[in-house]
Amino acid sequence: MKVRRSTKLLVEPSAVTTGDIAFNLIVFFLVCASSAPDSGRRQNIPRSETVPQQKEKSQHVEVQLTRTTMAINGDVVRPRDFVPQLRRLLAGKPRLEDRVVVVKSRPEVPYHHWITATSGIEEAGGIITIQREEEREVQIPQ
Amino acid sequence: MGDIAFNLLIFFVILARANDDSFLNWQPARAKNLEAAGYAKASVLIDADSRLFLNGRQLGMSQLPQQIGELLGDAPAGQRTVLLKVHREAQALYYEPVIEAISEAGGDLVHVLEELKE
Repeated sequence: MKVRRSTKLLVEPSAVTTGDIAFNLIVFFLVCASSAPDSGRRQNIPRSETVPQQKEKSQHVEVQLTRTTMAINGDVVRPRDFVPQLRRLLAGKPRLEDRVVVVKSRPEVPYHHWITATSGIEEAGGIITIQREEEREVQIPQ
Repeated sequence: MGDIAFNLLIFFVILARANDDSFLNWQPARAKNLEAAGYAKASVLIDADSRLFLNGRQLGMSQLPQQIGELLGDAPAGQRTVLLKVHREAQALYYEPVIEAISEAGGDLVHVLEELKE
């Protein structure tokens, strides 16, 4: 009886290329991995204009921010009352121009507090406008 | 052949990210109901040291309005998105002029934030 012998040999890939492949994979994943956030919130802020300070009281709702507090038309409100109170104030104002809410922030207000407040204003249906005090250089005569 | 193509691919991916600002040190503020920021022509960043960057390059506040204007050019509405990345503890003294500058340049402002999980 004739026994057939298999002539297939085990062929292994060269181990030299393993390091190259591993290196390329590391580079690939490093390039692709991004820890930067890519979500956000769109915000429409009308273009501002420089106007002289008006004597008469503005008809718009004003929100004043300090480092830790929020105030509506001068009255400090708790964070949970902020949106409902703004909603009440804006309720009888169907025109867009009447729904403008002027945001006045102290220079030290942190961004996360500002975002919380402006998110609340938008949630209540307000249109945000920033009012900033202009900085001026004063020259002292010598 | 495959190796070369793969390395070329990585090379172009790195080139495309040349204007990236992911190397800067900042922590986003948190908020609810966020949407995808999408593609933006400009990315303005205020880092943890209150330094200002436009597309990864540091610049002064006085240069910002003009530079944003140049980047946006005559792009139609909807393609004028400007990403704003502000460190969560940055002060109004620094970020409010930036918001105004973006608004003045006619940019569509998108605050880049982190989703607040309940």
